[in-house]
Amino acid sequence: MSEVDAIETKDLVKKYGEFIALNSISFNVKQGERFGLLGPNGAGKTTTIKILTGLVPPTSGTAIVAGYDVVKETKKVKERIGWVASEVILDDDLNAWENLEIQAKLQGVSDWEKRAKDLLDYFGLSQFIKRQVGKYSTGMRKKLEIASALLNSPEIIFMDEPTIGLDVNTRSLLWNTIRGVNKEFGVSVLLTTHYMEEADSLCDRIAIINQGKIAAIGTPDELKSKVGGEIVEIEVTNPIDTGGIRSMENVIDVSQNQNIVRIKAKKVERLLAELPRVIDFNNVKSLRVEKPSLDTVFLELTGRKIQEEETDFRKFYMTIRRARQ
Amino acid sequence: MFREIYVLYKREVKKTVRNPAVITIMIIQPLMWIAFFGSSFANTPHEFLQTFFHTSNYIAFLLPGELATSMLFIGLFSSMSMINDKRFGYLKKLMVTKADKSAIFFGKVFGATTRGVIQIPVMILAAMAFGVTIPGNVIGIVEWIIGLLLLGVGFSALYLIVTMNSRDWQTPNVIANFINLPLMFSSTALFPSSFFPVWMRDIAEVNPISFAADLGRAITVYGDPDPIYLAYLAIFAFVMVTIGVVIAKTRLSPE
Repeated sequence: MSEVDAIETKDLVKKYGEFIALNSISFNVKQGERFGLLGPNGAGKTTTIKILTGLVPPTSGTAIVAGYDVVKETKKVKERIGWVASEVILDDDLNAWENLEIQAKLQGVSDWEKRAKDLLDYFGLSQFIKRQVGKYSTGMRKKLEIASALLNSPEIIFMDEPTIGLDVNTRSLLWNTIRGVNKEFGVSVLLTTHYMEEADSLCDRIAIINQGKIAAIGTPDELKSKVGGEIVEIEVTNPIDTGGIRSMENVIDVSQNQNIVRIKAKKVERLLAELPRVIDFNNVKSLRVEKPSLDTVFLELTGRKIQEEETDFRKFYMTIRRARQ
Repeated sequence: MFREIYVLYKREVKKTVRNPAVITIMIIQPLMWIAFFGSSFANTPHEFLQTFFHTSNYIAFLLPGELATSMLFIGLFSSMSMINDKRFGYLKKLMVTKADKSAIFFGKVFGATTRGVIQIPVMILAAMAFGVTIPGNVIGIVEWIIGLLLLGVGFSALYLIVTMNSRDWQTPNVIANFINLPLMFSSTALFPSSFFPVWMRDIAEVNPISFAADLGRAITVYGDPDPIYLAYLAIFAFVMVTIGVVIAKTRLSPE
């Protein structure tokens, strides 16, 4: 069982009437991995999670989660997974303990009280057990929701847009929590996000998903190097002979425009280490490193920026404000 | 399965109990029926009341009908609670667990029925305050209460059948309001069927509200209850629950 992938999907298709939400998606998530589905709103991320958690069946294709088929062995899949929704879903009228009790009993967790206590301790919520969840802060609610998803000791935890709508501090706190949960509990994580920096900082591997299709899969570094590597820009006092640089195996391309030398390399750190062998640094006035971001990757792969919708919204909001003034 | 139903049922009850405003209104509303509607025949000649209602106190006739109607309206709570769980995503959370979907259905049915049960003692006491005498027929009273429970289970299930498969939260409410009043007026909850035209009498005779009302009236007005009414109510509840379970297992939609 140890070498079986946590998630294995093959040619997943989901249609809602005429609308194709997922158009043949295939990917694998290894055990213990933090895997991200990155894409704009409406790309098909949530639909993917719904299928993998057994909420809706796929129109065609197969998905194996924790070793079981999500359609044929839904109950076995559900026993082995946890799910954290993008909006926190807890019963506000109940306290933390009561919320956990419902989850535990529905998941058939034996000895759930000990497990719940341990989790509340781990998330630093122990002293708020009896407090109505409606009175929790957003960060606490999110933590409680993650705790509740961990009650049944899942092999895989699904997080749909885990940090959407959170302020920067809470977001980075939550990133640490997710990393911690992944390590301490040995649970694989599949998360969806439309924040580049979140995918970049949190995920071992990423699938870029757009209009129901996967555009690319890889580690953040792999994806970035796919776009054509990293760039070092050197300003020199006198033009140099670029032949030496060009012959370095790490280098993809070199160009010189008057006093600016622009080098595209696979790995900028290696280039910088080797650069003193081929150029005279007394001749160098300044040096600038430009690493491609996932933004560039996304733009290159899909022809549009991931945050376009949000920008549009901001524009719309500005228009309204202006109209009011 | 029992553990799952119980924990979901407990949730429904806790949510009700922790909301004092809801409980207060839930109790006051039927009391107002007893007080205002029940008193509307207070000055009619006794002979009239005796002839048509077989009692000189209309409230004695109304109480069982009003309790039965309460069970109808309370059924609506199961549907509203389901709609809320859909809107706030809670149903998705329940459906991602391995719990059987019918457990979700039963939790709501029993939760709503319990809300209705809370009203029974309050209403009986209130009616007694208005001069209704309740004879010490223990078996009869137990039968009456079981009848009301079955009616509550049946109607809660009926409203859930409408809600479970719906993605829209307005339609179930509209449907519920649409069927509530006809169901109430076409039963013997408020008036005896001898008042009705023939076509309406036919409906009243198969209307489960009538069975529950007449079961109670046997205690407050006529004398011994007819156990066959209990059997009819059991059939009503059983049919509704069976359909409900099938819908829950096959068509319960998470949103």
